[in-house]
Amino acid sequence: MTAVSSTKPSNASDRHALLGVMDARTRWRYLKDRFARWGVAVGGLGVIVAIMLIFFYLAYVVLPLFAPAKVTSHGSYALQPAMAAQQPWLLAMEEQAEIGVRLGSDGQAHFFDVATGALRETVPVIADGEPPAVAFDIIDRASGRFAIALADGSVRIAEHSYRSEFTDGVRTIIPGIAYPYGEGSLALADGPVDALEVRTAEESVLLAGVLPGNQVRIARFVQEVGLFGGAGELEADAQTTLNLEFAPTTIRIDPQQAWLYALSADGRLAFWSIRDLDNPQRIDLITVAEGESLRQATFLNGGISLMLAEPGSGERGLISQWFPVRNDDNSYRLQRVRDFKLPAGTVTDVDIEQRRRGFVVGTDSGKVALYYATSKRRLANFDVGDVAVRSVALAPRADTMLVETADGQLHRYDIHNEHPEISMGALWGKVWYESYPEPDYVWQSSSATNDFEPKFSLTPLSFGTMKAAFYAMLFALPLAIFGAIYTAYFMSPQLRQLIKPTIEIMEALPTVILGFLAGLFLAPYLELNMPGAFLLLLLLPPAIPLAGFLWTRLPPNMRYLVPDGWAPVLLIPVVIAVAVLAFSLSNPVEAALFGGSMPNWLTNELGIDYDQRNSLVVGIAMGFAVIPTIFSIAEDAIFSVPKQLSQGSLALGATPWQTLVRVVLPTASPGMFSAVMIGMGRAVGETMIVLMATGNTPIMDMSIFQGMRTLSANIAVEMPESEVGSTHFRILFLAGLVLFMFTFVFNTVAEVVRQRLRRKYSDL
Amino acid sequence: MDAPGNGTLRDTMMRDKSKEALAESLSAPRQQPAARGEVAVEVDGLNLFYGDKQALNSVTLDIERNKVTAFIGPSGCGKSTLLRCFNRMNDLIDTVRTEGEIRLGSKNIFDKDVDVARLRRQVGMVFQKPNPFPKSIYENVAYGLRLAGENKKSVLDDTVEWALKGAALWGEVKDRLQESALGMSGGQQQRLVIARAIAVQPKVLLLDEPCSALDPISTLKVEELIDQLKADYTVLIVTHNMQQAARVSDYTAFMYLGDLIEYNETDTIFTNPGKKQTEDYITGRYG
Repeated sequence: MTAVSSTKPSNASDRHALLGVMDARTRWRYLKDRFARWGVAVGGLGVIVAIMLIFFYLAYVVLPLFAPAKVTSHGSYALQPAMAAQQPWLLAMEEQAEIGVRLGSDGQAHFFDVATGALRETVPVIADGEPPAVAFDIIDRASGRFAIALADGSVRIAEHSYRSEFTDGVRTIIPGIAYPYGEGSLALADGPVDALEVRTAEESVLLAGVLPGNQVRIARFVQEVGLFGGAGELEADAQTTLNLEFAPTTIRIDPQQAWLYALSADGRLAFWSIRDLDNPQRIDLITVAEGESLRQATFLNGGISLMLAEPGSGERGLISQWFPVRNDDNSYRLQRVRDFKLPAGTVTDVDIEQRRRGFVVGTDSGKVALYYATSKRRLANFDVGDVAVRSVALAPRADTMLVETADGQLHRYDIHNEHPEISMGALWGKVWYESYPEPDYVWQSSSATNDFEPKFSLTPLSFGTMKAAFYAMLFALPLAIFGAIYTAYFMSPQLRQLIKPTIEIMEALPTVILGFLAGLFLAPYLELNMPGAFLLLLLLPPAIPLAGFLWTRLPPNMRYLVPDGWAPVLLIPVVIAVAVLAFSLSNPVEAALFGGSMPNWLTNELGIDYDQRNSLVVGIAMGFAVIPTIFSIAEDAIFSVPKQLSQGSLALGATPWQTLVRVVLPTASPGMFSAVMIGMGRAVGETMIVLMATGNTPIMDMSIFQGMRTLSANIAVEMPESEVGSTHFRILFLAGLVLFMFTFVFNTVAEVVRQRLRRKYSDL
Repeated sequence: MDAPGNGTLRDTMMRDKSKEALAESLSAPRQQPAARGEVAVEVDGLNLFYGDKQALNSVTLDIERNKVTAFIGPSGCGKSTLLRCFNRMNDLIDTVRTEGEIRLGSKNIFDKDVDVARLRRQVGMVFQKPNPFPKSIYENVAYGLRLAGENKKSVLDDTVEWALKGAALWGEVKDRLQESALGMSGGQQQRLVIARAIAVQPKVLLLDEPCSALDPISTLKVEELIDQLKADYTVLIVTHNMQQAARVSDYTAFMYLGDLIEYNETDTIFTNPGKKQTEDYITGRYG
C-alpha cells in the first residue's frame, strides 16, 4: 500500500504495472479471505444440515406409526355352488393366505384357493348318516380348532390344518381336517343344544351348551395320558348345569375357563364365574341394550376382552369392549371399557386379528371396518357393495381379508396395517388396558407371547425423564450456582485459578463411571446409612457458618498462617469431619429412632415404598454430572460482569453483598439462566447414570425413594431387543424424537429468555 | 452541603450519628500553605505499595473545602491511585498496602474501625467510563438511597429529582425516568453517574478522568456541571487534559512518579510554576 502513496506513477502504463503488482498480492489476499469465508459457511451449514438430517431420519422412521391402514381390493369371485348353498359357520385362511376354508352349516369343510376361489378339496367333518349339525363354535383361530354340536347332543372337535410340501423347489400347501381328540364325539347333552362354546386346554376339554329351560350345561373332560406318552381317551370329569334368568342366544367362555358370558335376546349379559365347576357363581347381570337382541360376541386375541356387538342407535350399530376387572376387595366386576361406533348398519360378523388386538367388522349395509382396540382407532372403513356382509375373515398375519356377501360373492383385500397400536391418545393419554382396574399410563413394551397387550405410553417415560432431571437439578443447582457465585465474586484470584479448572475437569468424567459408582456403591451405601445422609443435610448448613465464626475468633497470628484468600480451603476438613460424624451417627440414630432400618421404617410406618436405586441416588449422581456444566457457564457469566459496575456500586457505599445481589447477579442473569437450562438439557438427555443407578421401572411417582425410567434409558435398554421396523422399534425412535424435542424446547426457551435478558442488560 | 428545598431528605441523611460528628469536625479550621479556605481532607505522609512496588511516596497535602482540586501528571504518576485512596477503592486490590493517613475531618479513614461502606457514601466517586447500572434512570439515581435502606417513595422521588437537577440532567430525562439508563448518550450517562453519586449527599466527590470517554460537547456540559458542584461539594478531579484542569480547577497538584511535585492554586501552576518539572509538563515537553 505504501508503494502507491510514496511512489507517484508518472504515466498511465506505469500506474497500470503498479496496479498489476498490487493485484497479484491483493488477489491472493482475497482468495484467502474468500476461502476462509466459504470454509466457515460450509462448516456452519454442515452443522445445521447434520442436525436436520438426524431430525428427518427420526421423523422418517416415526411417521409410519401414524399412517392409517391401507386396504387394496383384489376384486371378487362367486362362491362355488357347493359352498353357496350353506350359511358360513367358519371362514378362515392359513398362514400364507393362499388357501381358505369355508365350513358350512352342513358340516362340510371346503378348501379353496384364496386368489381365484377355485375349490381345492372338500372334507366332510360330519359324515353322511350322522345326526345333523346344530351349533358351531370357533375354539381357537390360531390353531384352526373348532367344534360342532350334533343334533344328538354330542360335540365333535376338529382342526383345519395345513402342511407344506416342496417338489422341485415349489411349495404346495396341502389342507386337511385333523381331529386332536379323536374322530369320535363327546357327549354333552341328550338332545340338540341351542348354542355351543368349547374350550380346550393341554389335557382337558370344556364343553358348554345351551339347553331348553334357560339352562347351560357345562361338562369337563380330562385326557388320560398313558405312562409311556401317547394321548389317551377323554373321560368325563365334572359336569354342572347353570340356571339362567333367560334363554341365552350365545355363550362364551374365556380361554382360562374361568368366566362364562351369556347373551340374551332381550339385551342382557350374564357374567358367571365357573372357575370352580362344583360351585359356579353369577357375578353380574347387566342390561346392555334394553329389549334388543344380542347375538355376536367374540374374544379379542388373548381371550380377555369380549367384543360385544350391539344394535346401537340411529341405524348405527356398535361394538363394545368388556373385560373383568378386579375390585379393591379382590372381587371382580365386568367392566364396559370402550365403544366402537360402526359407520353404518348393524353387525353381521366380527373377526379378530390373531396376533394383535385388532378386529374387523362387517355390517348388513355392506360396510366393512377395521379397528384396533387398545388405541381405540378405526383404521379403515370401506364399502363392499349394496349387499349385506355375511362373513369376514382375516388371515393369521392380518394382511389379507376375505369378505363374503349375501349375494354369494367373496371379496379379497390386501391390508397394509403395520402400526395400529399407536394413536396420540394411546401414547400420551390414560388407556384402559386389559385387566387393569382403571385407565392408566403404562409402558410395558414386550413379552414373550403374542397374547400380550403391548402398552406404549410415553407419559411415564417423559415423567421419569423430568423426575430424574428435577432431582438432579435439586442437588446440582444450589451447589453449582452458589459455588459459581463464590468462585467468581468472592474467591481470591489465585484460588480461583485452581478451583475453576478442577471443577471443569469433572465434566470429563465418563458418566458411565458415575452411574457405576452410584448403582454399585452409593445406592447400597445410602440404603444402609440413610439417617447419615439426612443428618449430613441437617448438620452441614449450620457447621459451615459455625466454622466461619470460629475462624474470626481465632487469634490473628494464627489466622495469618493461612495465606490471604486461602481460608476457604480450611472448610474441606470441616466438611469431611461433619460427613464422618454424620455417617458414624447413622447406625446409632437408625437403631434409636427408626427401629434399626430406616427404609423399613419408611415402608412400615409411613407407607412410603423404598427402592434401593431411587431418585436420591440418581439426583446425587446426575447432579455431579451436571454441576461442572452449570458451574462453569454461571461462573463465567458472573465473572464477566464488568468490573466498573461492581466498583461503581461499591463506590456508592454498597457492601459486597449488596453489590452482588443488586448489580452483579441481575447483570449476570442471562448467562446464569443459560447455564441452568444447559444443565437441565444435559440432565434430560443423560443416559448412563439413570440407566445404572435406577431400577428402570417406568412408574409415575414423584417420591424421592422410588426409581424411574427415562426416555433415554428406555431407548438404551430396549433398542437391542426390538425388531427393526416393528411398532416397538418405531416407538423407541419416537421416544428419541420426543427427547430431541425436549432438549430443543429447553434450548430454545433458554435462548429466547437469554436474548430478552441480554437486551435488557445490553451495552455493557 | 445544602440540599435545595429538601429538609426531610437532609434530615434522613444526617440521622447518621457518626456522620454528624464528622460534619462537626470538618468545620474545624485548619490552614494549609497554598490555600486560605477551610480544609476538607488532609493527606499526611501517604505511602502506597502494589506488592513490593511503591506507587505513592509520602504524599502530603491539604484539600480545601468547596473547591475543585485537579491532579495532573503523566500516565503512571500515581494520580488515579491517590484519588482511589480517598474512598479506599484500592482495598479491592489484594496486594495494595498503605502507610500514612488521610483525614476526613479529624478521622483517619484507614483506621480499623472505619466502616468502608459508610466512608464511600461520604466520598462519592465517578469513573473514567460511564458505568450506569443496567436499571432504569430512576433506579440508578435511587440506588445509593436504597442501599441505605430508604424505600419511601416520596423521599426517593424528591431525591432523584433533586440529584438529576443537581447534575443538570433533569430537563433531558424527566419524561423517561423509567427507561433504561443504557439508552442514554455517553455524556448523559456520565452526568447520570454524577447524579447517582450526589444523591447520597457526599462531602467529597472524586472524579477520575470523567471526560476522557466523552465527546467535546458532552465534556463541556460535564465541566459546567463541575463548576456548579463545587458550591456544595469538595471536588477532586484527575485529568489528562491540562486545559480542562486549567478551566475547572481552583487548585492543581502535579504528580510525577509517585511524588507530589507541586501543589498550588491553578493560576499559579499554569502561569508561574514553581518547579522545572511542572513547567516542562504543562508546556508539553513530556507526558
